[in-house]
Amino acid sequence: MKELIEKVKSSIKDIESVDKSTLRVLFHDTLKELKNHHKIDAYIGDFPTFIEPVHLGNNVRIGDDVLLGPNVYIGNNCELGDYVELSNTIVLDNVKLGNNFTLENCIIANDSKLNFDILKEKNCILKGITDIKENIEKLDF
Amino acid sequence: MKSFKLFHNNKESIEVHYLKFNIGKNKNNDINTKLLKIWQKKKMSDKEEREIGRIQELESTNLAREEIRDLVIETKKKVERDNDLLAERINKNFQKHNIKSFDIVGAIGAGKTAILEKISEKISSKYKTLVICGDITTRVDADRIEEHNVETVQINTGRECALNAYHINQIIKNKELSEYDVIFVENVGNLICPSEFILGTDKRITVVSITEGEWVIEKHPMLFKMSDIAIINKIDLLERLGTNIDKMISDAKKFNPDIEVITTSAKTGENINKLLEIMGLAE
Repeated sequence: MKELIEKVKSSIKDIESVDKSTLRVLFHDTLKELKNHHKIDAYIGDFPTFIEPVHLGNNVRIGDDVLLGPNVYIGNNCELGDYVELSNTIVLDNVKLGNNFTLENCIIANDSKLNFDILKEKNCILKGITDIKENIEKLDF
Repeated sequence: MKSFKLFHNNKESIEVHYLKFNIGKNKNNDINTKLLKIWQKKKMSDKEEREIGRIQELESTNLAREEIRDLVIETKKKVERDNDLLAERINKNFQKHNIKSFDIVGAIGAGKTAILEKISEKISSKYKTLVICGDITTRVDADRIEEHNVETVQINTGRECALNAYHINQIIKNKELSEYDVIFVENVGNLICPSEFILGTDKRITVVSITEGEWVIEKHPMLFKMSDIAIINKIDLLERLGTNIDKMISDAKKFNPDIEVITTSAKTGENINKLLEIMGLAE
């Protein structure tokens, strides 16, 4: 799993030169691998709803009324706001998401801080440190 | 109750507890404001403040302030309407793939998982089965069922007291439905909340046990009105407990004349074959 996550991390490092078809295969392989390794075995955070498979890294903070899964990877030291809903999504390490995010088939680049509320996205990579929605780096894939 | 715990060893605990659960209940807005101000003086954390807000605005129409009551009712109706539409779509999807689907509801400890274990044991070689398990936390039930060679998916609802159609839709949209013959949904252990949400399954099965007493059906009419099969479980304990099963059966029939009522013992396996026949899954 770690190897795959490292591959995802390095392949989206430079968002401009992402090879979409390779990334798409890697993305689905990573989500597929989740099914073999991660079952919900603990109750974590502030009352989120989990639909397995969900992987939660270390030191993850989760807001109220969050729905995670199926097929969600959350890296280490991530913080999700209230009303966040993620499915088929990889969130890499040290990411912060604001309130009321709905993401499906997305990758959030490591160290991204999306400090605003309300975002609905599908099938894309998101990256950036910003308080304004319009300033996110985004690549559909 | 979290904030109550914070004041657990404090003189203010009873007052705080009283205030928390009476803000919003009172129709007199002056008193509400006064209560709110007293509460705010307690230097609430953000979390506690939000919790109060939630009780005031969303949790229940009974607790809603007068000025937002209509909005709360309208929102609740919309949620139920959306759930029903999605459930209809899920059911069509199941039918398209010739999948038999069952939603199993019942109180904690009634024997839902034990019955599902027995069923899985008997049908897993014949039907490709998926069991979706709903629980507040842990995957204890899913692990038990998985031992009988069926695939399971666990949903941990955190604090939601029932599964809804959206949960089921999130799972099935990621599954190749043509690979399955039967889908079971084991709902969160509860006899009240599941009656608000249908899930799109062909049949709803409600499980009660004789250890819950002969009034359990009489006290939960809504669930039996919307169920197709009622299982009265743990009949191996009948001699010792002396529960009036006839009353339970007649109560179920009174609420829903079309309901099939069956007595079972998941422990001894009594009547499990008969149950499979009723479900159309006989060996």
